Amino acid sequence: MAAVEAGTEARGARRPEWLENIGGQLLAVLTALGIAVLLGSIIIVAYSAGTGVGEDPITVYRAILNGSFGDKNGFGYVLANAGPLIFSALAVSVCFKGGMFNIGVEGQFIVGMATASFAALTFTFLPAPLLVLTVLLFGMLGGMAWAAVPAILKVKTGAHEVVTTIMMNGIATSLVAWVIGGPLRYEDTGGGFNVNLRTDPFPDAAMIPDLGHLFGIRSSARLSWVLLLALLTAAVMWFVLRRMRIGFEARAVGASPGSAQAGGISIGAVQIKLFLISGALAGLVGIQQLFADQGFLPAGYEAGIGFTGIAVAFLGQKSPLGIVFAALLWGVLARGETSLQLETDMPREFIIILQGLLIISVVVTYQLAKRRLFARQLRRAAAVEDLRDSEAPADAGPSEGSGDEGEVR
Amino acid sequence: MGSDGDGAGRESASPLVVMQGVSKRFPGVVANDDVTLDLRPGEVHALIGENGAGKSTLMRVLYGLYPPDGGTITVRGREVKIASPRDAIALGIGMVHQHFVLVDPFTVAENVTLGDEGGPILHAEDAEQRVKILADSYGFHIDPAAIVEDLSVGEEQRVEILKALYRGVDILILDEPTAVLTPAETNDLFENLRRLRADGKTIVFISHKLDEVLAIADRITVLRRGAVVGETSPAETTKAQLAEMMVGRPVLFRLDKPQVQAGDVVLRVDDLRGGRLHGLSLEVRAGEIVGVAGVEGNGQRELANAIMGLQPLDGGHILLGDRDLAGVSTEEIRDAGIAFVPEDRHEQGLVLDMTLWENAVIGRHDDDEFSGRGGVLFIRKIKELARRLIDEFDVRTRSIESTARTLSGGNQQKLILARELETDPRLLLAAQPTRGLDVGAIEFVWGQILQQKAEGRAVLLISAELDEIYALSDRIVTLYEGRITGEFSPDAPAEELGRAMLGGVVDRAS
Amino acid sequence: MPLGDIGAAIGIALTYYTIIYVTGLGGLFSERSGIVNIGLEGMLIVGTVTGSWGTAELTPELGLPWGPLLGMMIGMVAGAAFSSIHALATVTFRVDQIVSGVVINLVAVGVARFLSTIFFGQATQSDSGQPRMNPLDLPLLSDLPWGLGKAFQGLSPMVLVALVMVVPATYALSRTRWGLRLRSCGENPEAARSLGVRVAAYRYQGVLLSGALAGFAGAFLAIEVNLSWNEGQTQGLGFIALAALILSNWNPIRLMAAAFIFGFAQAIPLRLADAPIIGAIPPEFIRMTPYVVTIVVLAGFVGKVRPPAAAGRAYEASGGG
Repeated sequence: MAAVEAGTEARGARRPEWLENIGGQLLAVLTALGIAVLLGSIIIVAYSAGTGVGEDPITVYRAILNGSFGDKNGFGYVLANAGPLIFSALAVSVCFKGGMFNIGVEGQFIVGMATASFAALTFTFLPAPLLVLTVLLFGMLGGMAWAAVPAILKVKTGAHEVVTTIMMNGIATSLVAWVIGGPLRYEDTGGGFNVNLRTDPFPDAAMIPDLGHLFGIRSSARLSWVLLLALLTAAVMWFVLRRMRIGFEARAVGASPGSAQAGGISIGAVQIKLFLISGALAGLVGIQQLFADQGFLPAGYEAGIGFTGIAVAFLGQKSPLGIVFAALLWGVLARGETSLQLETDMPREFIIILQGLLIISVVVTYQLAKRRLFARQLRRAAAVEDLRDSEAPADAGPSEGSGDEGEVR
Repeated sequence: MGSDGDGAGRESASPLVVMQGVSKRFPGVVANDDVTLDLRPGEVHALIGENGAGKSTLMRVLYGLYPPDGGTITVRGREVKIASPRDAIALGIGMVHQHFVLVDPFTVAENVTLGDEGGPILHAEDAEQRVKILADSYGFHIDPAAIVEDLSVGEEQRVEILKALYRGVDILILDEPTAVLTPAETNDLFENLRRLRADGKTIVFISHKLDEVLAIADRITVLRRGAVVGETSPAETTKAQLAEMMVGRPVLFRLDKPQVQAGDVVLRVDDLRGGRLHGLSLEVRAGEIVGVAGVEGNGQRELANAIMGLQPLDGGHILLGDRDLAGVSTEEIRDAGIAFVPEDRHEQGLVLDMTLWENAVIGRHDDDEFSGRGGVLFIRKIKELARRLIDEFDVRTRSIESTARTLSGGNQQKLILARELETDPRLLLAAQPTRGLDVGAIEFVWGQILQQKAEGRAVLLISAELDEIYALSDRIVTLYEGRITGEFSPDAPAEELGRAMLGGVVDRAS
Repeated sequence: MPLGDIGAAIGIALTYYTIIYVTGLGGLFSERSGIVNIGLEGMLIVGTVTGSWGTAELTPELGLPWGPLLGMMIGMVAGAAFSSIHALATVTFRVDQIVSGVVINLVAVGVARFLSTIFFGQATQSDSGQPRMNPLDLPLLSDLPWGLGKAFQGLSPMVLVALVMVVPATYALSRTRWGLRLRSCGENPEAARSLGVRVAAYRYQGVLLSGALAGFAGAFLAIEVNLSWNEGQTQGLGFIALAALILSNWNPIRLMAAAFIFGFAQAIPLRLADAPIIGAIPPEFIRMTPYVVTIVVLAGFVGKVRPPAAAGRAYEASGGG
């Protein structure tokens, strides 16, 4: 064995497994992209034919890309937009690594916005950097608190987190609506009648400085330090998942709860910790809207980022690096809505269809790629076996007493 | 030798089924390699080989569950393509799998008639009536209206056989049928098989239990690593010869047990209650191997889980030395010195999708040696550990970065053993430790277990294989319905053990 | 408290019962065949937009009578077609069933918007005031005294359909060959396969049936309740149907009771907001009622129910059949 190991290590530089895995994943993503583009083209042609609009796929796709790469402000928007998406997708993927589905990022981020607003309006005596940190902290705490409920219910009663988190979303929407209309409501003391429900404006000390001006960018979503924070968070999450105990335990629980438990890992503790981390990340989703763009919490806040985060997480195959790229890609598509409308006759809703196609093809392609990877791993492993002593890999599809016809007990 | 002579007169009958040059491949392995085999009417044909030899796969090809990659199958003189179980059944071929495929919430009659209900509307009484008549005609005792979930293992097996007979099969394939039966139930089964044979049916008996094969078979075909290495009959061979054909070299059936003076009591289990446990008590001393014999389903899994803290208890104590472990977390139990080799290495042993080095450190990942206070893992140290374990236990793999899924069953078990024994435990709890392993791996595992005893540790062995119990144990206890029903020395005859395994309370033997 | 309010609330409850029961029943068939269907909400959404179009645009254009009914049929077909994505992903490609369901829900919103621009020229709503079926007053029951009769006045005929649906559903499941085979696919697909039952085919049927029923329920919501299509009008009813399904232990008869309970929870904010005690609570909190009820039910009952044994597990069928 030592000889085998040494030989492999020496040749390790030739083809390390992790590199092959990434290569395989990249291939899968590109294939999925290609399929989505292809299917999208079919829809464009069908739509054109059906409604006499007369657009061709190339023009359409070019128009979409123009929105982001045609001018600096467009690109700035894509970057700024990516920040909240990264937080949202990271929140989803953290739980997913542990085998759970946190569909409640939407509710957690909304509550996080409320608690962050509360902090901004209460701790006004703090100077700028401290107030910003306090605001971030309260945002995370709000998200964590909201995520704790379904987590505890799951661990104590077994209630499935998919349904409970979604219900919590509904409750959050109503709760925050009440908060905006009640305790934190903005009374315009200038005597004017305020039509739009919202909170008081936040003190300047709470706002996050703009970065776009450094590059001459003024985009509708302000490019600010939030993006850097998001990238940093992604890197931190990578480290947590791969190099820290909690990440290790989470992956073990997600991949094989029985083996993890028999090994002494407490499944319930891991699940709750994951949900709390997830909630904290979710609580940061709204920071861009509130503390870089708007300056207050409006009743008509931009909702839906929690769900988009799920899409981005799937697109990025739930790895922090993939998520960053997926968030950027999503931003390009979102920005493409406007340019599509301006430059072509395709309805802007085509973008949503394209996004849907992309998610579906990524999910399916990923599944197929995973199976082919297994088959290849098994073939490789068999080749290593000493011929004199070769044994059939236990999982080579069915073998004695452990067939895939449900016989692995 | 054992076999009844009934089949002898029919040796000249022309074959019913001929599998000619059949091959079957899966990613990374050739399961069947150019196999030629024939089946005659009115015979019991045994198909033997060690785990991984290809016996089940070959019969699954015959039953239409897998398409063959090469070769032909001829039934009653005509070459056929069997693309699904439906085709096989239409040709008169039926199969009873090693792990039963019954729908638990359905009745016996529903299970038997599923797929052949006789019309779009169900008539439960008619179905039950028909099933009862069929069962009686073969001397099977079964209640067609019973819910399968409530049946015993032996009864479930009868339902499986009835499923095949209901469809008028002439050839009945049984895959390791006695793995889950007590000695008495095995005798009942053989009675039924003889009756079927007398009726002109063909039985294919897949097994690795040589004593039984010699007792019931008319002809024996031996497979090794996917290929046929011999065909013989009980009159022409011995158990040792068969074993040698199966493995390719002479096989020892007993290893030398080291003589060790048993020390203090390390583990005492007292009146455990909960789930399938109904007042179980036993004790294990340092330097001794206690074997828990019993048919699956009598509380083995629950006993192991209870000791490891994986299952809540309604009552009872588990004492490791002076410490009561009932209610303590699994992590603490492991830290206290119990190592666990689980019966299901995929569900409770390894995380298949994680790498070997990650698997090597599960359970010890929070030791100071492998992770710091802040929670950061010392990857380099962990990989060193993994390399050492893999080296010492000769786990064959391309690299430690491969996932556990790529290891063969024997290598997976070796990795688990390596990991668990590294903790220098006071007690080794091993449940079905050699299930699904080939002879080489079995010898290795047995050697390791005996080594633990030689080093003065306590071993609690839970196994459904009597061979293993006899080979390793210093003391044997029998488990039935969640209680210990008898204690024996390794010299006790199997029939006595068998009786205790069925609940007959036996006086303590010497 | 005027009992008429309670009567009105019961009427609303019956209407929401219809949506929840029909959707839940669809989910029942899917799950008992072995495929978990989280995507019921998405299928509902598809039903709402297509049903609305069917009633308001298509049938008048084609000059067909019975617009509302045809609209609901169209919703049914559209729901089934949409659910085929879920079936394809989970049965053929063996994608994780919950992942697929979540994706279905995400995509449905986009699809609905896209179709809406094509059908109605706007992304998030249709014109209001669409035609609906003639409401019924149930004989005898609508004359109940003390205002309770209000519960049974002005009901859509489809409510009656939803009340009797349990009969053919139960019969099909427990007395037909089809039902037996379907259930076997959800309890032990290996057993079914080994006897020649084509598991994949039955699972496709289960999923398509769930899409059809959910699509129908969505169309009913748009046509009979809201008389228009609006984005977000499904309000999580698909998930509430899932909760009802769990509460009912996957039994069509008990599902009726569960669906009614949840239907009543929907009615509280709508008709009982002014009742004593309830009236003192801020309206936003009252709106939370259905969600809170769902959580409480789930937390209290999950441990005590027994889902189909093989639901959620991918089944690998190698070779034929």
